[in-house]
Amino acid sequence: MSEGSTVLKLLAFPISIFTICLGVNTILGGHITPGGGFQGGAMIAGGVILSLFVYGYDRIPIDFSHNFVSAVESFGALAYIGLGLVGLIFAGSFLYNIGFDAYNLVPNLVQTIFHYPDVTNAGIIPYLNIVVGLKVMVGLSAIAIAFYQFKSFEEEGDEE
Amino acid sequence: MIVIGPILFGLIIGLVIGSRIRTDAKVNIGLTGGSILLLFIVAILMAWQLGNFPYYSDFPVATGFVSAFIGLILGKFLFGRSKENS
Repeated sequence: MSEGSTVLKLLAFPISIFTICLGVNTILGGHITPGGGFQGGAMIAGGVILSLFVYGYDRIPIDFSHNFVSAVESFGALAYIGLGLVGLIFAGSFLYNIGFDAYNLVPNLVQTIFHYPDVTNAGIIPYLNIVVGLKVMVGLSAIAIAFYQFKSFEEEGDEE
Repeated sequence: MIVIGPILFGLIIGLVIGSRIRTDAKVNIGLTGGSILLLFIVAILMAWQLGNFPYYSDFPVATGFVSAFIGLILGKFLFGRSKENS
């Protein structure tokens, strides 16, 4: 598989780092600004994919292994369902916003635990953004890594 | 009043991703102390240009961006490993 030039190799990692930070910033502002979990996760995956294509899978500085991808993907899905089930248990509705509690259905302690610590009373929405962002980040990265490795196998086969 | 939401969760997400950064001899991207300092200055400038979220008036910089950067670097040094051990 062809790799990037020296200039690309010099600049790709810092650009990846800043793209990832921008993605995290997008995830964390999902409840008050445009964007959210999916968009921020896609931006983080964009940073990882940039490093993948410039350095190659063997030399990638941001190394998402199979176990890491599997663990984060599982955590994202389970945390989303878990947040929904807490609303179902305490308020009778799946994904009820227990951190904001507009209808005064949940105990104060539960509301305090799930209240996102900022000034906007967003409740569990930022947590949903975060878990969706983590899931999308590893999902899109895994797709790109898999396609890259398929391509490598194809080229190895052609050379033989 | 300092809004701790984006600071805390930016740091956590940064730590998670930073734990996967590796800079062994095979990778060789030259992540030295000086380059990290330069990246941090650029990150502060970017965060200042971004500005903070609406309704957040605690800092003039995007706190989520800065804490994510700090989390990435901290995660790299605390949990970063070589590919052979990952």
